[in-house]
Amino acid sequence: MNAAVIYLLLLKATMTSFAGMGSLPQIRQDFVETRAAISDQQLSQAVLVGRATIGPMGAYVVAVGYYAGGWPGAIAGWLAMITPALVAIPLLILIQRWVHLPRIRAAVDGVIIASAVLLIVSGGTLAIDAVQQLTG
Amino acid sequence: MSHARVEGPSLRELVAAVALDANRTVGGGLVSIELLRRRFTTRGWLDAVSHGVFIAVSRFTPGTVVLAYCVMLGWRFHRWRGALLGLTVASVPASLIVYVLAATLARIDRYAAVRTLLAVGILVASVLVLASAWHLLRPYLPRGARVRLLVVVAVAIALVLLGATPVRVLLAAAVVSSLLPIGNGGVRLQPDSLKASE
Repeated sequence: MNAAVIYLLLLKATMTSFAGMGSLPQIRQDFVETRAAISDQQLSQAVLVGRATIGPMGAYVVAVGYYAGGWPGAIAGWLAMITPALVAIPLLILIQRWVHLPRIRAAVDGVIIASAVLLIVSGGTLAIDAVQQLTG
Repeated sequence: MSHARVEGPSLRELVAAVALDANRTVGGGLVSIELLRRRFTTRGWLDAVSHGVFIAVSRFTPGTVVLAYCVMLGWRFHRWRGALLGLTVASVPASLIVYVLAATLARIDRYAAVRTLLAVGILVASVLVLASAWHLLRPYLPRGARVRLLVVVAVAIALVLLGATPVRVLLAAAVVSSLLPIGNGGVRLQPDSLKASE
């Protein structure tokens, strides 16, 4: 598969997800079901490799790119992984401009508190998963 | 808590810190964020307020949370150079390892020792993630902010139990929190604490 197509398909998946593995359903739809560029087994392998590796779990898209298009595909996967992160800069600039408004401050406070709740859920899920692996 | 502008790291220090902390644990980017928080707050480069805002913004940024966090760290101290270098060093090592593993290994989880090591690593990672949550919640524990804390936590837990996506949980929390009385329950964000230190 062409590296540019891989980049655009993976970018579609990463730009519409908000966590490392959140892009998985879209990637499966595009690469396994629609285009048959990789198999379900390869996708599982990519997820496993991403999870077993240091750093962000989202790096599994590099493996997806590799399976779909060799090393050019891996580079396309890396680019698709890092591109959405640049959206953080305009978001941060907007927050800087508006944070003096009390209601905006309160909204950001709410997001921070809810982020902590989501972290607790993620941490709990990780811990349960690890204990099951150790005991099972 | 001080909101005074802090001296930031040099570009080299920033790159070294991000490269080290974003690439030394399994369990995902949330663990790396906690390691980065510890390093940057310990050295006086980042305060808890800015960390909280970075977390909030990174949660709303598409893609991988830790990469958005690293972009903001770099942007705050060295603008585009910092953002792009931070993004690069946070993503390249893991991507190279993924590439090598994908290209060379058939199934790495068939070895029991590997599975056990991974499980122990993930268990440690989960403790770090929970510690990160505690550091985010702690500033809201004083009496003036407790109502906001309790209401938003209740809303977030309810939505999580109902199966809402993280973005919907965060949006609902923002709306609910902005509708609560401001008073002394509105917490401590100051615009200066978010500005670039350059």
